[in-house]
Amino acid sequence: MKKLLCTFCAGVAFSCLGLSVAEAWSLEEAAKDYKGTEIKVIFLDRPGYRATIKMLPEFEQKTGIKISYEIVPYESTREKEVLDFSAQGDLSIALVDLVWLGEFAESGWIVPIDELQKKFPNLTDPDLDLNDFFPLLLNAFGTWNNTVYGLPFDNYSGLLFYNKAMLKQAGFEKPPETWDDLLNVYGPKLTKDGKYAYALQSRRGETQSCDSFMRFIWPWGGSLLDAKFKPNLMSAKDQEGLEFRQKLEKIMPPGIVDFDHNEAVNALAQGQVAMITEWSAFYSTLSDPKTSKIVNDLAVAPEPKGPAGRKPALGGFSLAVTTQADDKKKGAAWLFIEWVTSKAKAKEYVENGGVSGRQSTYQDKDLVAKYPFVPPMVESWQQGVPEFRPRFAEWPQLSEIIAEWGTKMMDGQSTVKQASEEIDKRVEDVLKKAGYYDGKKPLAQ
Amino acid sequence: MSADKIRKTYSTGAFFFIAPAVVVLLAVGIFPLLFAVGVSFHQFLLPKVHWHGNFLGIWPIYDAPLCWFQNYISIFQDDSFRDSLSRTFLFLMICLPCELVLGLVIALLLHKQGNELLKKICRVALVIPMATTFAVVGLMGRLMFDANYGILNYLWSLLFHSRPNWLADPNLAFLSISIMEVWQWTPFCALVLFSSLTMVPLEIEEAAKLETAKWWQILWRVQLPFMLPGITAILILRTADILKLFDVVYIMTKGGPGSATELISVFVQRVGFRAFDQGVASAQAIVLLIIATLLSRFYIKFVYKEI
Repeated sequence: MKKLLCTFCAGVAFSCLGLSVAEAWSLEEAAKDYKGTEIKVIFLDRPGYRATIKMLPEFEQKTGIKISYEIVPYESTREKEVLDFSAQGDLSIALVDLVWLGEFAESGWIVPIDELQKKFPNLTDPDLDLNDFFPLLLNAFGTWNNTVYGLPFDNYSGLLFYNKAMLKQAGFEKPPETWDDLLNVYGPKLTKDGKYAYALQSRRGETQSCDSFMRFIWPWGGSLLDAKFKPNLMSAKDQEGLEFRQKLEKIMPPGIVDFDHNEAVNALAQGQVAMITEWSAFYSTLSDPKTSKIVNDLAVAPEPKGPAGRKPALGGFSLAVTTQADDKKKGAAWLFIEWVTSKAKAKEYVENGGVSGRQSTYQDKDLVAKYPFVPPMVESWQQGVPEFRPRFAEWPQLSEIIAEWGTKMMDGQSTVKQASEEIDKRVEDVLKKAGYYDGKKPLAQ
Repeated sequence: MSADKIRKTYSTGAFFFIAPAVVVLLAVGIFPLLFAVGVSFHQFLLPKVHWHGNFLGIWPIYDAPLCWFQNYISIFQDDSFRDSLSRTFLFLMICLPCELVLGLVIALLLHKQGNELLKKICRVALVIPMATTFAVVGLMGRLMFDANYGILNYLWSLLFHSRPNWLADPNLAFLSISIMEVWQWTPFCALVLFSSLTMVPLEIEEAAKLETAKWWQILWRVQLPFMLPGITAILILRTADILKLFDVVYIMTKGGPGSATELISVFVQRVGFRAFDQGVASAQAIVLLIIATLLSRFYIKFVYKEI
């Protein structure tokens, strides 16, 4: 009996010790070996990154790790990163757009999280809780081939931003539920006196291939590739969606083919256009009195539905540790990535203008009330299509093809049918050379 | 003269004086060219190749598969490449004559007697467009031609009460980049032609002025024949530059809208640094080099005549 009591007490004492060791994990403790390490990362000029930059001094002060960032336009980011990785450069953290994930993972440029956790057991935050991330985001932005490489950092969903005053003036109390309504019911009433109903960012580049082209394929039940990875643009559903996009041009400002994100957001912010479907991150620009004239009239809703349902645009970036960094920098980079996407920092990140990818952040009722874009965004993340754009290594090449012919469709240099045939032909060529049709490569998107 | 005597006319010192320039040219010009030729015969996708050290310490070895002339064949079968090349030649045929004619007018005006102070100021002012960085010229173009806030549309709306969309309409975008190109390089043509004009012997010019008062006859029969070397130089240099033109176009329109202003170098950059197909991009660059060389030989054969 006494022996049992002794072993019981010993057991309790040891487990208490164990618990206290686990609870004693703190960033400062973990980072003490990494003081003075400098790690490089590329940032974009977008609200989430500006939010992070505001938070950097706190991280540096707590850990002594210096983060040096370089702000690069999105269109040049992949080029810069690929050149850096190919030439064994000095980036320690990779900013991975979800469409680059396949490429970076297959080229061996980023380290899986399991490997990092095995290599640096003392640096893993016990509160990491991967299940707290929205499954769609962790899957689409950070997971390739069932391996998690990065944590969702800059998270977007396509949302419908609209000017409720303009809609009310035209007699509408609610935003359009379907694309058909937007074109046929809302469009004519809102397009007059130099104002337009809708603006779709369509500039040649990723903007055209993702924001403009793909947005009109999925909600119509179409897809870029069929189950055997053959191009599918000539199917009836794809053609219907693309023809619909052509019809939208009559309710959009002229020169829409040259509109990038800034132009579309500004068109709404300056009151020229009544509705846009843009990334959720632009909420902060639209609600800031310094950059927007419609602060009081701004409202947010999920994207309109197509015949096949609501399939909003999905986009976002994750942060991953690069293979080329030495062990010290890898450790420091892993600490930063965990910290910036952690539960503890999520609220501050959102308040500074970022968009967190953790479910627990949005259980805070005050936060949800303060940011009206949250409910439609969370709803969109329940329904998104992970392969909204294929994430395999060949996507950048396909994106160039789609961007070129997608813009030609829109500015009349080619018909929808001709351009779709061209895209199909070239896409098939690229995928053939990559080995998807003769079994050399698994059909993973 | 015997072989010994011929060799002795160049002192050994001359060799060492030229050596630094040759070494730099080899390192910066010749080696990358040979490497590009080498890469163009391989299927070289940058994210997929791996570096395996250097051969003899200088030539990098990659594990890219050899594909001989496959890249070159695919270039000539690619419609986009042909479109881009024809667009670049169209651009050349629009800009070069404009630059030459305007440059000639400026040169003739500078050559006229009188207005010495104005001529001095002009000669300095002419250098400003040429000295401006390409990127800055592109940014200036982007701001000036902006449909809503550009100065050009402001003046246009005062005169014609409309606001054309310069950078979003395919034809107007092409016109916009032509305007910036002509603006930047007409002074170069003007200055080269002006210096060629000063090489016309004064006696011949004065004699011609006694024969006829018509300035265009003097220009055509007396001045132009002496200016042919200058004109050849302009033709060769401007052709090579327009075939390489990238910064201004990229910053103003990125090759858009659609592919209305996608000149050949913008196209090669897209293939080489977005699709990262370095093999095809190198092949395209080599083809461009061959075209530029052929055009230069053509100019020298038909335009250049020394008097």
